[in-house]
Amino acid sequence: MNILVFIKQVADTEARILIKGDNRSLEIENKYNLNFFDEFAVEEAIRFKGKVKDSKISVCTYGGKKAVEALRTAIAMGADQAYLIDNTDLDTDDPLITAKILAGFAKKEGFDLILCGRQAIDDENGNIGAMVAEFLKIPHVTAITKLDVVDEKKIIVENDIEGGKETKEVQLPALLTTQKGINEPRVPLITGVMKAMKANIPVIDPVTLGLAKESLDRNASKIKILSYETPKGRPPVKIIDGETPEEKVKKLIKLLREEAKVL
Amino acid sequence: MDFALTEQQEFFKKVIVDTVDKMVAPKAQEIDEKDEFPWELWKEFTGLGYLGLRYPEEIGGMNADKIMCMTFYEEIARGSVGFAQSVIMNILMGTYFIYRFGNDSIKERCLYPAMRGEKIATMCFTEDQSGSDLGATRTTAVKDGNGWRINGTKMWITNGPICDFCTVLATTDPSKGLKGLNFFLVEKGTPGFSSGQVLNKLGCRGTVTGELVFDNVWVPDENFLGDELGKGVIYVGDILDEVRLMTGAMALGIAKGAYNEGLEFAKKRVAFGQPIGNYQLIREKFADMDTLMNAARLMIYHGAWMLENGMDSRLIAAEAKMFATEVCLKVVDEVTRIYGANAFAYEYTPQRYFRDARFLLYGGGTHEVLKDFIGRTIIGKL
Repeated sequence: MNILVFIKQVADTEARILIKGDNRSLEIENKYNLNFFDEFAVEEAIRFKGKVKDSKISVCTYGGKKAVEALRTAIAMGADQAYLIDNTDLDTDDPLITAKILAGFAKKEGFDLILCGRQAIDDENGNIGAMVAEFLKIPHVTAITKLDVVDEKKIIVENDIEGGKETKEVQLPALLTTQKGINEPRVPLITGVMKAMKANIPVIDPVTLGLAKESLDRNASKIKILSYETPKGRPPVKIIDGETPEEKVKKLIKLLREEAKVL
Repeated sequence: MDFALTEQQEFFKKVIVDTVDKMVAPKAQEIDEKDEFPWELWKEFTGLGYLGLRYPEEIGGMNADKIMCMTFYEEIARGSVGFAQSVIMNILMGTYFIYRFGNDSIKERCLYPAMRGEKIATMCFTEDQSGSDLGATRTTAVKDGNGWRINGTKMWITNGPICDFCTVLATTDPSKGLKGLNFFLVEKGTPGFSSGQVLNKLGCRGTVTGELVFDNVWVPDENFLGDELGKGVIYVGDILDEVRLMTGAMALGIAKGAYNEGLEFAKKRVAFGQPIGNYQLIREKFADMDTLMNAARLMIYHGAWMLENGMDSRLIAAEAKMFATEVCLKVVDEVTRIYGANAFAYEYTPQRYFRDARFLLYGGGTHEVLKDFIGRTIIGKL
């Protein structure tokens, strides 16, 4: 079986992020990771491969040259092959375009199962998986927490719903997005790290996926980012004066009532 | 000039940073508090295969270059220096001589299991009266039939009390001083070989350090580790630069660990209505620490690059070890000041870094000995 895993390289949660002067782009410290939810997808693909004979895992991302690092991480964990669809000069604000490109790759590569994280933790869009499935006209289940193989044509998945769990049977080929809790992503063995370091990762020009260049660039975006702003800073700490603890508590209660309005 | 890591080195760094963050760093405080060898972590971590870091792929190693080795040493020490010391002993000093001189049987018995983490290795130089002064080594090895009889006591042996085998430095001819020194392999279970006092240390807790006693220990000729007698001190020279750079990398790791925590604290701790990181005197500390750590990093990785390229790295290795360790002491001190009184409490981490940093003053040569060596090398004998 051909298992495809779509991943994204995202800024580390501890990376310094500054808004550039134009208010519409970001300056990100050079600290990147494989997206948190995509780690579950890679891990689940590896486990799936262990259950179904002659399976092959291909990992793919649409990103800049730097994203090769995230692809190597997936190989170190146990993926067989990785592909970088190079987005240099084509960076888009519109996830629809990314989904078109990934669907184009899936068509070209062939697949029985596609996995990806439920959302990227940078833009939090959470819609790539669903859109790719739609372009490919295949079933999809979002945010699965369990995946069982029935046979090469059928799987059973679970996902959380309000107050419980839902179990579904899904015909393959299908696309599934992974939720936290589905597995515990492995720490790579040194043999995997060495394989990843040596791996040849083909770089694909998106226009070779049957999509016209003008349909991929920023101008084709139907969604455009207008501005970014940082969260409001923590308000200054107020030190409560008073002669006695009782007096301080009285003042505190007054402030909690009148100013903070929490009592 | 090119200061950039290759894409592969960059990737390796990322992997080891993540692995240490996930597996080692969260256990550091507990390792320090318990001061017991972390067997569970040892099994989990060594199961990943890192102990073969510097050895060829044909024997199950990774064949990592010196830059990658330094990256590994730095990062694992950032996570927990108590754990790092035990790991690095297996990777470098504890297995160096058996890899270089051991016959097939020794490699099967000791090297390969040590690379898999199944056996714990160590190397014994230090005695109660000699450390940097190797010429004063009093442990003796005397020819006896088809082997050697070893007598003496070694002190400050990392992994000593729990080791499965050790490479021991002994003199075969005390009248020859340094030229009488040789290395021998002694395995656990050999009659007369035992562990003595376990040291209760100020820092690097979790690493079991102590005394090893050799009471009329007999080992066969194959356990003599060398090409010919009397070259032990030359072999020490062959590994010394790497050991010194490694020590510097560990110092940098401790400094980085402390610095990261200090930075988080300075951003969050509020005094007089604002985070203390807003105050110039705190900012000055970060400016100084970052400058010093960058300088130490350049020295260590420059030294590693020279070593990798077969250049004479004796001076840079000594200087980098000394400088990085002094930088580490400065950084851990500053971080305790940033933390204020909290740094004085065991429940916070700065006190651990503060204690750990002290240990690196001695390994790889005291700074007094290193300064003398550096000065002597520069000026020569007038």
